[in-house]
Amino acid sequence: MSPTTVLIMMSVLFLVFGYMGVPVAFALIAGVLAATAFTQISMQSMVGQLFHGIDTETLLAVPFFLLVGELMASSDVAHRMIRLSQTLVGHLRGGLAQVVTLFSMFFAGISGSSTADVAVLSRTVAREMDKEGYDRAFTAALIASASTMANLIPPSIMAVVYGATGNVSIGGLFLAGVVPGVLIGVGLMIYSYFWGPVGVMKKRAPLTEVIIAARGAALPLVIPVIIMGGILSGWFTPTEAGMVAAVYIFAVLIPLLNRKHLTELPRDFMYAGLLYSLPLAAVAGASAFGWMVAYLRGPDIVAAHITAFAGNDPMIIMFLLVAMFVIVGDFIDAVPAIIIFMPIIIKLTEVGNINPLHMGVVIITTLVFGLITPPYGLSLLVSSKYVGVGFGKAVVRSLPLYVVFFATIAFIVVFPDVALWLPKHLLPESVGCFKAPGTGAYICP
Amino acid sequence: MADFRALILQRHRQLKWKLFDPLEAALMILCGVCIAMFTLSVMLDVVTRTIGAPWLWLQQVTTAFFAWGVFIGMAAATRRNDHFYLTEITKRMTGAPRTAIEVINRVIVLVVAVLLIWCGTQNAILDLGSYRMPSLIPLTVYTAIVPIMGVLVLLFTIEQLVNGWKHGFEGPEDRDDSREAIL
Repeated sequence: MSPTTVLIMMSVLFLVFGYMGVPVAFALIAGVLAATAFTQISMQSMVGQLFHGIDTETLLAVPFFLLVGELMASSDVAHRMIRLSQTLVGHLRGGLAQVVTLFSMFFAGISGSSTADVAVLSRTVAREMDKEGYDRAFTAALIASASTMANLIPPSIMAVVYGATGNVSIGGLFLAGVVPGVLIGVGLMIYSYFWGPVGVMKKRAPLTEVIIAARGAALPLVIPVIIMGGILSGWFTPTEAGMVAAVYIFAVLIPLLNRKHLTELPRDFMYAGLLYSLPLAAVAGASAFGWMVAYLRGPDIVAAHITAFAGNDPMIIMFLLVAMFVIVGDFIDAVPAIIIFMPIIIKLTEVGNINPLHMGVVIITTLVFGLITPPYGLSLLVSSKYVGVGFGKAVVRSLPLYVVFFATIAFIVVFPDVALWLPKHLLPESVGCFKAPGTGAYICP
Repeated sequence: MADFRALILQRHRQLKWKLFDPLEAALMILCGVCIAMFTLSVMLDVVTRTIGAPWLWLQQVTTAFFAWGVFIGMAAATRRNDHFYLTEITKRMTGAPRTAIEVINRVIVLVVAVLLIWCGTQNAILDLGSYRMPSLIPLTVYTAIVPIMGVLVLLFTIEQLVNGWKHGFEGPEDRDDSREAIL
């Protein structure tokens, strides 16, 4: 059997098994092991690859950022940030919709998990939105769209996985994710202001109320400072920054702000332990799958097709990859998608002479969009479930919001300097800059 | 006793034997222990490095807990049906077609579990001769979790196959979005 045939068979088996209802991790492993039977590779070494796929120190950051999200969501500390958001933007047209987006920006700076964001908002602000007459489909669509920022604004689990598998600076990816994250947030706020439901108009909160709310939210908002400050100062790796943030929450935040929750900590740990195993089980399967894709020369095959159309033009290559990942993101979860397609991404990054960090942030932003598109829009599925509206209705209400995502993706493809501005200034080595001998100034490509 | 029961997911109860409930609870506790232990070991790693007396072996302890946590969680998620799924089409099916698809799905998982046990055991035996530096921990300590996970997945899949065949795979929860359990 030719490598191309084996590659197609492996991919088809994975999709067929996956869509029949086999768990993603097992569908990936089954596809790989079936393909292995038609190659010179032993089953034993492919099973070994499952373990090696997660035996990477950088992936250790994933459970910490999930733990931070779980602790914040379950300990009720997040409502202080909701209060702050209300005092800042609650008076605008579509006040609670603005609160959802601003809170998600704050929460994204603390947690790397979109589902934790959806859980917090659905339990709190969504109920208020219901009372104020916002239609539930819009509420679900907005919460899901806003929650995607958790995967862009640092700390981002997708950035950790992308950096670990693609050998790209995780700190650099964190910083590069800020601009698209904020662009999506601002885009959602603009949409809510002009075209969203009006809600109940409220008076602007007096300055004293804003100050009180800011004081109340100050302790949780230290977390982004710990994470990014630690990474940028070189004190911590992303993994260690995640650990420090988690320790800060259960040693400082919860005892000071919600002491009663201390007895629930063992439960939080157990569920966070289970939660982190879910994406990482998929990572284990996907890494074996990705390895096999590379072995079967998948990157060369795909690169040949793409370059036949795009040549070496970086922008066309990126737009074609965006189109490919919009489709991929509709069907496969982002984390396994990153790992499976990483050999192809690396190949095309070389062909187009694209900055790996730029490529990373474009791919992550595109995959983030997959969280709100059918049939596998995980964030939208969860939010529609929690808000109590049909998934189909939530999809229809999400359609106008897709424009925000497409505009953001197009913007960062066309203007790489905007996405790379922060990493270039704060973490120059991550963009490929190097110190000029003698002067200490950075020379950037 | 009440706490122990609280750790058991009651969704699709008809697919579960009471006999395995303590196993699910133990796996949940182990998930918590793994994440707590590698949080502690990363913390100690930072502290010892900061005070200028780094314990280099801590990184290997951390990765061991991390890897064990992933595979233990994978086994627990199998019993709880908490894994990531591409779709939930089976939840909307009823009767014989539902049974057929559910059985096929579990047979696929069963075959994967058998291969993981067989190949994983061979790998673990082979790794007895390899060591992680500088701690000199045998690589088997890390890789042995793969066949162990395989055995647990095998047990839970057989449990679901037998009970599903006897009582049906459909449950009242199927009307709800099954992703609720993830949260």
